[in-house]
Amino acid sequence: MEEKFALEMENLVKVFPGVKALDKVSLKVRPGTVHALMGENGAGKSTLMKCLFGMYKKDEGIIKIHGKEIHFMNSKDALENGVSMIHQELFNIPERTVSQNLWLGREPLNKFRLIDHEKMVKESKDVLKKVEFNFNPNSKMTSLSISQQQGCEIAKAVSYNASIVVMDEPSSSLTSNEVEHLFKIIRSLREKNVAIIYISHKMEEIFEIADEITVMRDGHSIGTYPCCDLDRDQLVSLMVGRELTQRYPPRESKIGEVCLKVDNLTSSSDRSFKDISFQLRRGEILGFGGLVGAQRTELVESIFGLRKIASGTVEVHGKLFEKTTPGKSIDAGIGFITEDRRSSGIIPLLDITANTTIASLKKYKNKMGFLKHEELRKKAKQYNDDLRTKTPTMETTIRNLSGGNQQKVIVSRWLMTLPEILIMDEPTRGIDVGAKYEIYMLMAELVKQGKAIIMVSSEMPELIGMSDRIMVMCAGKNAGILENKDINQENVMQLAAKFL
Amino acid sequence: MEFKKINNKSLKEILSQYTTWLTFVGLLFVLSVLTQGSILKWNSVRNLLIAESVRSFAALGVGMIIITWGIDLSIGYVVCLTASVAASFAQNPAYTSAIYAGHSFPLIVPILAALVVGGLFGTFNGILVAYGNIPPFIATLGSMSIAKGLQLIYTRAAVVGSLNQNFKNISQGSVGPIPNLIIYVAIATFFIYLLLRHTRLGSNYYAIGGNKQAALVSGINVKLGLVSVYAIAGVLYGCGGALLASRLGLANSLTANGMELDAIAAVTVGGVSQTGGVGKVSGIIVGVFTMGLINYGMSFLGIDSYFQQLVKGFIIIGAVYFDMRKNAKMD
Repeated sequence: MEEKFALEMENLVKVFPGVKALDKVSLKVRPGTVHALMGENGAGKSTLMKCLFGMYKKDEGIIKIHGKEIHFMNSKDALENGVSMIHQELFNIPERTVSQNLWLGREPLNKFRLIDHEKMVKESKDVLKKVEFNFNPNSKMTSLSISQQQGCEIAKAVSYNASIVVMDEPSSSLTSNEVEHLFKIIRSLREKNVAIIYISHKMEEIFEIADEITVMRDGHSIGTYPCCDLDRDQLVSLMVGRELTQRYPPRESKIGEVCLKVDNLTSSSDRSFKDISFQLRRGEILGFGGLVGAQRTELVESIFGLRKIASGTVEVHGKLFEKTTPGKSIDAGIGFITEDRRSSGIIPLLDITANTTIASLKKYKNKMGFLKHEELRKKAKQYNDDLRTKTPTMETTIRNLSGGNQQKVIVSRWLMTLPEILIMDEPTRGIDVGAKYEIYMLMAELVKQGKAIIMVSSEMPELIGMSDRIMVMCAGKNAGILENKDINQENVMQLAAKFL
Repeated sequence: MEFKKINNKSLKEILSQYTTWLTFVGLLFVLSVLTQGSILKWNSVRNLLIAESVRSFAALGVGMIIITWGIDLSIGYVVCLTASVAASFAQNPAYTSAIYAGHSFPLIVPILAALVVGGLFGTFNGILVAYGNIPPFIATLGSMSIAKGLQLIYTRAAVVGSLNQNFKNISQGSVGPIPNLIIYVAIATFFIYLLLRHTRLGSNYYAIGGNKQAALVSGINVKLGLVSVYAIAGVLYGCGGALLASRLGLANSLTANGMELDAIAAVTVGGVSQTGGVGKVSGIIVGVFTMGLINYGMSFLGIDSYFQQLVKGFIIIGAVYFDMRKNAKMD
């Protein structure tokens, strides 16, 4: 019997100046299956999808949908042909309502060719019901949480009645309950014979939901495997092309004196954190666990001086720290790797050197007040070499690097400030397995040198695997601090839901 | 081809990197042919340099502002105001319609007054943008009108003329064959080069324009940085104003009208990106002279000045179009 595919991409080639991003990549997806597309960052997954949607023009190869060759010019084209995509980042219009966003560009019209608002709201309700989300189609996007907004994206994709749905890291901002909900929707789509391409770095999810897995590496397709034929380690080694024996580096922690002491810290915003107290000691990784919305990021941003504090104290090395600004924090030896690399990390159009040195310029001035460019360049190169940042030259603009390499540049930036305390907010978000392990190694090395790390992480295995202690937050409050043998998934989850 | 990065850049990359210079050289070549080389004679070059000198100050100022992802629409009227202020302190005391008739001031007074007024206006713009969170377009639109109003009130809408010779000599003199004005431009250019390339403050401008949030997290005092860039730009406009009054020997409410557009056009042609965070001093200066060459060349060839406006418009749009294709903030 001849096999039928919903989507066939054969021998796709895409060349960028200096880089062959796709080299004869093939992907075949059957209807009614969930097909996971796996690979490290920079392997070419996004490029492949962009070729499908016509955002990039493919140089060679054939794309067939239900056996018919197609050339989409843009996403609209793709949507009209039953191919929809849920992006990793949200592409909505914040000041418009849910239903306005849902029907954007295809608003139902009345007989005068004007927008039929009633019909639009009614149809929104139907769609939202179908995917079991119960929010008001008339509420503004801004009033929804990030995960609810993600829900809207899913509803939108479903509303097109697409036969092929691409999901690019749809779960990255979802809590585990919400991920369950997402999987329910995916399963119901699968029953309706929809082909789903699921892109994610989260192994647990892949093994739970996927039927088949296509692995990509360095712009090549390595192969397609039934999900049940692979185990986790096999998959990882296919992705990185080498055996990864350990997911977390071994650690010998020598805990020293307290270097950061936070007492009864309360945010100036009512809806944020309240009454937080904890201590951070040298040589320690203190994990911050909790659900999305637990205000962990807000807490670390306040400690660093990016947000206002209403009451409470922060002591660094025994000295009271008041009216903090990021500049003062850096001077006091605190570094802060932010959660969102794109919006508050990289400076896209500047080169690697400038991106690495920007937080330490103060220390590299001569007597005249001029910058020591040569020394800056050397240091920047040294830090990036140590972290094995893959870049053609130090003069390459950072936006041309893959996510993992961008993250290494940001880490270099903070190491160059010679921090004693490093705050890492989701340090491995959206980066590939190989780069992740390198970041973990680095963290282990830093605490071995007697530095202290606060790690905010939403990835349970990472939180448990890396932390010496875990402070779990729930609804802006400290729900408890876990140590030693109390550190396990059940305890973290229990505390994370303590006040809900 | 293998999957690897290539170190030697492709021709396309090199071209896009040196667009500014290539445009300038190309234009120079075309005009030399059309004018049979007379545009390359020292006299023409000298005239061009003088004609573009005040605009250079304006362009250096707004160029830095655009690097921080801002804009300044108040340039024209701030230059006009500072020119008027400078002129008012340099009028012949015997001139009965002088603003300070009967008084004479040391030469330093008109210069300082222009710099201070320019600096204050810039600071005001900077505070509105940095602390008031008013979009630069609107903040400077407001201060543009304020500057215009102050100029009219201060001069009672009259011409500030009959300037003393010492004041005029500041710009009209020369050192050997080189006019003073050109020396001033060279000095200002050098200082701004030092600032942008070799100081922390200058590096911070690129970071602020490139990603404000990242700059903030990196410990940069973004608000202070923004105030400083508008303030320094204001001082440059003050320089321009004083020199313009000195060169023209008068100032009135029409002085420097529309200079903001010329300056913004010049820096745009000079490769300062509207996306923020990109631009060089060399580019700004080449941009100014490219626009100057277009004006001067067309006049030289006897092309109607109405057409000059038209051509300038297309050039600005073209420059931004290519800039956006190159630097647009997308993946």
